[in-house]
Amino acid sequence: MSAPPVEDTRAIALVDLLDRLLGTGVVIAGDVVISLAGVDLVEVSLRALIRTVEEDSHE
Amino acid sequence: MAEQGRYLYAVCRGLTPEAVDGIAGLGGGRLSLVAEGDLVALVSPVDLDEYGEEGLRSNLERLDWLEEAARGHDAVVQAAAAIAPTAPTRLATIFLDDEGVRRRLREREDAITAALDRVEGHEEWSVKVLTRVPDAEPEPVPVASSGAEYLRRKRQEQEDRSAGDRDAHVAAEKVHEALVTVVAASRRLPPQDPRLAGHQGTMVHNVAYLVHRDRSDDFVTLVHEQSDAYPEVVVDARGPWPPYSFAMLDEA
Repeated sequence: MSAPPVEDTRAIALVDLLDRLLGTGVVIAGDVVISLAGVDLVEVSLRALIRTVEEDSHE
Repeated sequence: MAEQGRYLYAVCRGLTPEAVDGIAGLGGGRLSLVAEGDLVALVSPVDLDEYGEEGLRSNLERLDWLEEAARGHDAVVQAAAAIAPTAPTRLATIFLDDEGVRRRLREREDAITAALDRVEGHEEWSVKVLTRVPDAEPEPVPVASSGAEYLRRKRQEQEDRSAGDRDAHVAAEKVHEALVTVVAASRRLPPQDPRLAGHQGTMVHNVAYLVHRDRSDDFVTLVHEQSDAYPEVVVDARGPWPPYSFAMLDEA
């Protein structure tokens, strides 16, 4: 493999972005609206992602 | 018209409205700033049919929706982080009105200020270390002559693989030890699922590093050196990004 070890790019791969947006960040729960726990969000999104990947690979 | 909520992207210090001129909020909503003391929250109106609890529950299951929301959120955070200390929020942090946003800024002022102090002038870099998958096709192996032979080979393959993983873990720790000398902080993230990330090999290291802008060049140079020093692994560094992994409050 000859790809350079450093990619200077601000475009973040979706999986890296979701790692961050769903797992960390200032934790400020909205007033009432969000009662989903962070963990639920991660699981929900990963289920969605994995299902899509599986659907793609069956095509 | 459906009821509207306020979607919070990030909390900043010293951000002026011009900074986000020309950047649209999620769903095309207009971005605005809600100030409280030294803190400025970056918000836009969203439809509660889509972003309320019920809507989110189903929308988060749809990858196209999730991706659009994550990208839209990121675009706003990137614009803010380029010019002001920025503490990004989680995806889908929604308040009923601006007063709710202000109240929360007051309640969390100390923790948010500490987070902003920590990340001011810094950027986040991601470094992953993976086992190297051989480029060459494996030599064709004759069919096992017996069940015992087959099992022996399976065991050997397994042992080779775990030895490779062990070596990769050692290399990853060496890389990490070198990189932490120029960073302000680091945070380990779980290795990613190859089905999501699309990588080959085993991801043995997935770490976010908080790097001062003045040390970016040093950091990149070090990554190159470390990558050369440990050819048995793949070192994959990306950035610079807003400090997503370092701006969270202490109580999660």
